[in-house]
Amino acid sequence: MNILEVKDLCKTYIVNKRQNNVLKNVNFSVAKGDMVTIMGPSGSGKSTLLYTVSGMDKATAGEVSFCGKDITKMNDKKLADVRLDEMGFIFQQMYMMKNMSILDNIILPACQSKKTNESRKAITERGLTLMRNLGIVDIADNDINEVSGGQLQRACICRSMINNPEIIFADEPTGALNRASSDEVMEELKKLNDNGTTILLVTHDVKVAAKCKRVLFIVDGNIKGEYNLDKGENISMRDKERAVNNWLMEMGW
Amino acid sequence: MYLSILKKDLKRKKAMNIILLIFIILATMFVASGLNNVFTVINGTDYYLDKAEIGDFVVITMGDDSRGHADGILEKADCVKSHKIETCIFGSQNSVSRVDGSDVQTKNTALFQSMSDAKLKFFDIKNELVTNVNQGEVMIAGKFIENNNFEIGDSIRIKLGDVEMDLKIAGKVKDAFLGSDFMGNTRFLLNQADYDKFLADDMIKAHYQGEVAYIETDDVASTISAIADIPGIAFSGARSTLVMCYVMEMIVAFVVLVLSICLIIVSFVVLRFSIGFTIAEEYREIGVMKAIGIKNHKIRGLYIVKYLIMSVVGGIIGFFASIPFGNLLMASVTENMVLGNNAGVLINIISTIATIIIILLFAYGSTGKVKKLTPIDAIRSGQTGERFGKKSFLRIGRTKVRPSLYMAINDVLSAPKRFMTIIISFFLCTLFVLMLVNTVSTMKSPNLITTFGTKSDLYITDIDGAMELMNTSDKENLEIELKKLSDKISDADMPCDISVDIQYKYKVIVSEKEFAISCAQSINIPVDKYDYLEGTAPQNKKEIAVTPQVSELLNIKIGDTVTIDFVGEKIDCIVTAYFQTMNNLGELIRLHDDAPTDMSCVSAIRQYQVDFTDNPSDTEIENRKEKIKELLDIEEIMNATEYCVDCVSVVPTMDAVKLLLLIITIIVVILVTVLVERSFISDEKSQIALLKAIGFRNRTIINWNTLRFGIVALIAAILAAAASIPMTVLCITPIFGMMGATKIEFNIDPLQIFLIYPAIIFAVTIISAFLTSLYTRKIKSSDTASIE
Repeated sequence: MNILEVKDLCKTYIVNKRQNNVLKNVNFSVAKGDMVTIMGPSGSGKSTLLYTVSGMDKATAGEVSFCGKDITKMNDKKLADVRLDEMGFIFQQMYMMKNMSILDNIILPACQSKKTNESRKAITERGLTLMRNLGIVDIADNDINEVSGGQLQRACICRSMINNPEIIFADEPTGALNRASSDEVMEELKKLNDNGTTILLVTHDVKVAAKCKRVLFIVDGNIKGEYNLDKGENISMRDKERAVNNWLMEMGW
Repeated sequence: MYLSILKKDLKRKKAMNIILLIFIILATMFVASGLNNVFTVINGTDYYLDKAEIGDFVVITMGDDSRGHADGILEKADCVKSHKIETCIFGSQNSVSRVDGSDVQTKNTALFQSMSDAKLKFFDIKNELVTNVNQGEVMIAGKFIENNNFEIGDSIRIKLGDVEMDLKIAGKVKDAFLGSDFMGNTRFLLNQADYDKFLADDMIKAHYQGEVAYIETDDVASTISAIADIPGIAFSGARSTLVMCYVMEMIVAFVVLVLSICLIIVSFVVLRFSIGFTIAEEYREIGVMKAIGIKNHKIRGLYIVKYLIMSVVGGIIGFFASIPFGNLLMASVTENMVLGNNAGVLINIISTIATIIIILLFAYGSTGKVKKLTPIDAIRSGQTGERFGKKSFLRIGRTKVRPSLYMAINDVLSAPKRFMTIIISFFLCTLFVLMLVNTVSTMKSPNLITTFGTKSDLYITDIDGAMELMNTSDKENLEIELKKLSDKISDADMPCDISVDIQYKYKVIVSEKEFAISCAQSINIPVDKYDYLEGTAPQNKKEIAVTPQVSELLNIKIGDTVTIDFVGEKIDCIVTAYFQTMNNLGELIRLHDDAPTDMSCVSAIRQYQVDFTDNPSDTEIENRKEKIKELLDIEEIMNATEYCVDCVSVVPTMDAVKLLLLIITIIVVILVTVLVERSFISDEKSQIALLKAIGFRNRTIINWNTLRFGIVALIAAILAAAASIPMTVLCITPIFGMMGATKIEFNIDPLQIFLIYPAIIFAVTIISAFLTSLYTRKIKSSDTASIE
């Protein structure tokens, strides 16, 4: 069952009266429980595609069906509700509300959501459980400037999970992290996916892509190819990376 | 890079820079006009009195035996360098009407005199000297023309005695002696021929003529002694007293000055915030400049250049705006006065330069933050954490409030220093408005009644009646007249007592020096019914109470003895108490009921007081007021509050100033809110984009931004409301003190102080914050990708 279906998606920006077609009739789908990565050279439209399919940006044309609902037809209020209750977001920059503790940042979307009638106490407990699962419970009460980048990104993952979303969109989640932190974060995302959470992420990093099930390669606003990593369960990670790398070379990376 | 940062700043923060420029313009405009006005009024009063040739001392005499004495006495007095005497006729409201016979308002006693006999200089509205009035025409001083909606060219009817004449209003003149709000007498200047026609009436000639003497002297104390022998003195006052009569005009000017100071503070606070904010936002550029070796002072210079340009541009605009604005503020003052403007523009220029220099010094001081920013800030894009504020103690998990309200409260608690700018600005503006509200409500309340007399149910200020009483030969007759009046009212089912407070002018001798001092004694009001500041009420005719002003003038205190010459009977009186009054600007002695006063020495009767004996309700008193108006066919009947408003004649002016101040405060609140909120939004763009990305609706973000301004406005309003009462007592009491009342019970209207005015400021803040926060709709969730 597809959780996300993208049909003939176009996105055009007008810059200095010049039309810039960033996405050109993009078609793809993401099944429930899938973990898909979008790769491509700089300026190919990866982030734009992520923001457009997640409803953060308006599509110029085409259809984005999320859980059977076309989000391109939704108004801003409805879109905000969908993003709050059914989607989770992780960004390269670990944006947080500056004057709030790590835990408060994590549970803020749950406090705003009307999805459940949970008490604040229950929400806090859930936030702490998520933090415990990701190994950062000891920084719950810290300021955001008191923790490392890796810890902060894991906190962002907790925040993206707090409303039990159907899908998590991640825009270069390891882009600002060192290798060790990057591996930790990807491990956590992998675990989430193993537990059934659908993930669509954008990355430049072959190591990150190798941890996913599918890789979409985008060039000049078009998806040029797709590589399936799901078949090779017993293949080592190193071989997966090599396979992805070879495929990318073939695609003109 | 210098130029690029400057360009970037001007381009990116267009709205903020424009608002800041407006603040600089406003600050310069207010400083320049405010200082100019104060300088003009303080010095201008003397300038005006000199120009009008009023002299150093003025005496008014009235009554049957008063004419012709002053000239001889002043001639003989060594202390008098020169003197001028003009004659006049005293009239009342009933002396003047419209040509159709309908009533007009004239405040207090009206004076009619011939222009050619006038010794005082009068000026028209263009400040040109008026020397002539044509036959059949009249020039009028004071606010008579405006108050009665007359136009130049309209006619009025003057009836003095049996002589009635319709005269065309030829213009308005400024009267240095009687034209102030505090004196408030209307003077009608006639052609000599017309004046002579009125004098042809025997009754007028015999009873209603009087004299005004303008005396040049270097020795006021001796002059007070010298004039003590002049009979029928209705008023005597030194130049300092006349200057004090313009206290209300000065209050308006001081209000403008204090307002200017408030605005300067607000401007500086906002300026400091803006500079600090700009620099905090430019951490990357500053870091890069430092990394490539540019020195601190050069970086600071960059920001100074920006503020130099802005303050010079703002200062120049503010300077030009200050001239018409100052004139606008002074319009109510210059209606009555001829003010000197010789140094006016110079003061504006100096004020403007001073404001620019202060802004620049302030800007230089504020740029001290540059020292704290390091190249690391540029390299790490401010993500090192050092630039983040600390979280507050508030936890969303432990509250039940909505996230928008939580975030608003949390912001204020996390960075109280950041919000202090707004709290200080709003606090000052609101406090000043509330202080003025307290002052005006006190002026409009019966709280001041004890400074004018005793509290009664009604006050009849029918001057005609007073004039007749003054011409009553003795006190027995006066008491009979009062009895007749009370019987007439009582017969109409309104049982009452009528009393009257009378002022006499008596010679008071202290240490062989003589002074002509007004002494008050009441008929039907026992002396112990009056309020006293200290000591006990006079118990017999040998005891008196004095005001602090008389105590100072005569250099006497409680327990001292003075001699009062009650025309034929000199009595040594001991001072037993101090009391306060705003009558005669505080120069008054209160006599015991048995003191041997004589009607020939009466100088003023201000009002009859009506006290109903059947304890009617306030509503019934109001009904009776109307009934008595019909019964006696007079309009000038007031309750205690109305009487106070009538006595403190500046209430309408103060009301106008209050409104002006409120409008200016609202403008300041709007500007501060817009400027600061735009700065916050600019700083928090990434957080707003994040909230949108994770599913927060626009409404929640708008609420968050609006609520935090609401919270600080509420804090400022509560603080201002709480501080308004002690601050009013502290700052406004001395102003009443100048008028004679040193101990004032302020009328605090809780509804206005704690609800209406704070609510206005609060509502303006909320609306401004809400409208400004609509800008957040332009920030998109996808901006998370492009924000640095």
